[in-house]
Amino acid sequence: MMLKLLIQPFLTHKYLLFQLTQRSIKARYKQSIIGYAWVLINPLAQLLVYTFVFSVIFKFPTNNIPYPVFLFAGLLPWIYLQNVLITATSSLIDNSDLIRKVYFPREILPYSVVLSKTIDFFFALSLLLIFMLAYQIPIGITILYIFPLFLIQIILMSGLSLIFSTFNLFYRDIQYLVPLLLLLWTYITPVVYALSLVPKTYVAIYKLNPMVGIIEGYRSALFNLPFDTGTIYWSFIFSVFVFLSGFIFFKKSEKVFADIV
Amino acid sequence: MDNPVIIFEKVNKNFYIQEEKTFKEFLPNLFLGKPWAKKVAALDDVSFKIFQGETVGIIGKNGAGKSTALKLIAGVTTPTTGKVIITGKVAPLIELGAGFHHELTGYENIFLNAAILGMHKKEIELKLDDIINFSELKDFIYAPVKKYSSGMYMRLAFSIAINTNAPLLLIDEVLAVGDEGFQKKCINYLQEVKKSGEKTIIFVSHSEQLVKDFCEKVILLDQGKMIAEGKPSEVFERYHHILKQDEENSKL
Repeated sequence: MMLKLLIQPFLTHKYLLFQLTQRSIKARYKQSIIGYAWVLINPLAQLLVYTFVFSVIFKFPTNNIPYPVFLFAGLLPWIYLQNVLITATSSLIDNSDLIRKVYFPREILPYSVVLSKTIDFFFALSLLLIFMLAYQIPIGITILYIFPLFLIQIILMSGLSLIFSTFNLFYRDIQYLVPLLLLLWTYITPVVYALSLVPKTYVAIYKLNPMVGIIEGYRSALFNLPFDTGTIYWSFIFSVFVFLSGFIFFKKSEKVFADIV
Repeated sequence: MDNPVIIFEKVNKNFYIQEEKTFKEFLPNLFLGKPWAKKVAALDDVSFKIFQGETVGIIGKNGAGKSTALKLIAGVTTPTTGKVIITGKVAPLIELGAGFHHELTGYENIFLNAAILGMHKKEIELKLDDIINFSELKDFIYAPVKKYSSGMYMRLAFSIAINTNAPLLLIDEVLAVGDEGFQKKCINYLQEVKKSGEKTIIFVSHSEQLVKDFCEKVILLDQGKMIAEGKPSEVFERYHHILKQDEENSKL
């Protein structure tokens, strides 16, 4: 029953999902000089500044991995998460005209955000590949492990998107709260620094953050380091829980969307 | 003609209008146990049936509940109590370009908008020429729709809606925007559709002439209640009566 509810929109409204995703990607390069390249410029600019601050000024240890590559492995999925959550939070409000007039499964709207940002993410990943080649980092078979990790991240982001977008429909405070949460979340996630820098006493609590397992997992896969399997399992369980509760919450609230938007 | 496609059974629809928006006002009210929102009955015990192939007008003053009735038919909202049963897909004529993206071209928007109305790629491709021809926008179809006039917007939106495969068409006042020529064309087209009996059309308008010309049945709503249902000339008589009463009341 629930599984059917979950999967059906992908069958019946596949083309709408595709169109909405295409809309947000196309709209970005209309009447813009740099257009789609912004997807690459944004992480590159952040990379430049972070590299200066954390490898020239602070000299963070990174297991002998060149800092720019180490950073990119965490920064790209992190920017991806930020983009998804900020855009998805307002996705229902941005389409209030549609919600008021036409029926379609509403979760298509946040899903289309996840999908369009995923395409951006894949483009940005080409930067990582270039950096790895430039720094002559061997690319092994373990790199394939990024796909299951990526799946965990998608589940987590979709769940949070469903929750935030619904709350934002009731109270607009959420769209101001989410960027703040993301800012704080960045500092308790090993994006710009390595997990090894976190004091032993705090590590157990620190690893409760579901993004720790995912980001560290990406690094293990890319640089052929040992996997922290326990933390990754935790991220998976946590993400599935967030998604399922988000989905149920979304579906229960969906009926009143048109009345309150 | 005897299978109903829309059934309203004792439909009530209440809205809650929030008045206190800020936390400072909200908190004391919460402690004092004041209701946090004001109840408004948009529809009050409304029952009617609309049959396959009928063309039905819904009339009434502003705030009578016409839009709420359309929303219930479109399935975007659910009744507070009572039942709404709809058979078949519904194509609402979306408010001027609500489903459009301004930066995209007319051509791109056809696909986007038709997808929103529940069409698949192949269905849209099949109808593409019809849509473009009917909209008379052939020369502008690759221009971004933000350059369109409101009349052009409407023409495109209308052309898409009537070319969907949905058997139920909802038309909400939008016809008023186009120029007279296009308006006539739309009416003629709708007359054709009506004759074929394939589509059920729900028509909301303030234009008495349009409704009388076009609809065989009219439903009159006033303050959420259904006042009358029947032949256009009879229902409009009631409507004029209500309007006259209001005028007298406001004079007092």
